[in-house]
Amino acid sequence: MLRSKQALRIIHAGALEQVVEKCAEHFSKQNSGLKIEMKAVGSREGAQRLLSGEKYDIIALADQALFAELLVPELVENYFVFAADQIVIGYDRSSKGSKEITQRNWMDMLLQPHVSFARSDHHLDPCGYRTLMVWQLAEVFYHKSGLYSTLATACLPYSTYPKSLDVASALFKGNVDYAFLYSSQAKQLGLPYITLPSKINLSNPAYADFYDQAAVSVESTIPGKDVIIHGKPIEFAIGIAKSTNYPELAKSFIDLLTGVDGNLILEECGFIPC
Amino acid sequence: MNEENLSKFESPISIERSIQAELLLLLGQRPSHGYELIQRLNEADYQSGEADAATVYRNLRRMDKDGLIKSHWEMGESGPGRRLYELTPLGEESLKVWAQYLAQQKSKLESFLQAYFQFEKSLSVTKER
Repeated sequence: MLRSKQALRIIHAGALEQVVEKCAEHFSKQNSGLKIEMKAVGSREGAQRLLSGEKYDIIALADQALFAELLVPELVENYFVFAADQIVIGYDRSSKGSKEITQRNWMDMLLQPHVSFARSDHHLDPCGYRTLMVWQLAEVFYHKSGLYSTLATACLPYSTYPKSLDVASALFKGNVDYAFLYSSQAKQLGLPYITLPSKINLSNPAYADFYDQAAVSVESTIPGKDVIIHGKPIEFAIGIAKSTNYPELAKSFIDLLTGVDGNLILEECGFIPC
Repeated sequence: MNEENLSKFESPISIERSIQAELLLLLGQRPSHGYELIQRLNEADYQSGEADAATVYRNLRRMDKDGLIKSHWEMGESGPGRRLYELTPLGEESLKVWAQYLAQQKSKLESFLQAYFQFEKSLSVTKER
């Protein structure tokens, strides 16, 4: 049991902020007096925080592959896939060209002068490297040689937005015209979005082999040495830190998230419960 | 029981409903998790169009709730834990009804095509005259 002044600590992908907050609210009702501390980060950053010694009880990340790459078996024993999503292009009614943009012409619209678009930092956030993968796959899918580097050059500096939540927030405030986001984030903010073909939006396991040809280099835990990440269908996962003092409580929280109530919360927040 | 159930299938089948039959068949062949089911569904010869993740997971949850399938979390040997689905006796019964319904539809379609080909033949004979 938790003593006073102690708390169940959850580190989670920024994209999961609403989900974790709603689950925590629900969980607090079942466990009166319980304090829950939540920290929203880019998922790569979150895994790196654990590696650097920060203590959390529960880890919920936007890319299930991060667990195997960085956390299992030293820091986490088991982890569970609980939600899926896709990359979309979010915009606002006041975004330049918002009445003309479609699934067919999106790249031409984004590359017009005076149109701004953003993505998150691929070194810190899966939505950032997934966006780069979408651009690579779009180059193949639409037979447009050079599209990837053209988009990468025209995009606003990625370092401005450490996580997809920051990109979503910039879009919501009208600071950018378009943003590459998870569809759940656009839905949560009530923003319109362009759905991309499933062969490039990283949503469908049937295209796992096609997605695999996309590859992005990101900074590893060893300074100066990058790792290559390949495209995969988007899956969110959750696990319990081996160092937790509250394994039963952490398990109950995960049971809530992956159970009927959690599925309803995930759906409300625009995710696909798995 | 089967006659009664068959009568429920008289209306045209929506894609949403036909995916349920396809998922029941795949789960009858072997228990699977959603990720694998989406891949198997898209590889199946009888699938028309793309089965997307949202549709498959939504139908799995619905069938789980209706007792046609059941699920539990299975730990991956080297990968993540995933929800594993398997067919229940009720699901097996439902799959049988689906197969009977489709056989009935197939027979009706064959009769239609037979009648159509005869009609087509009679048209060409009339033109030759």
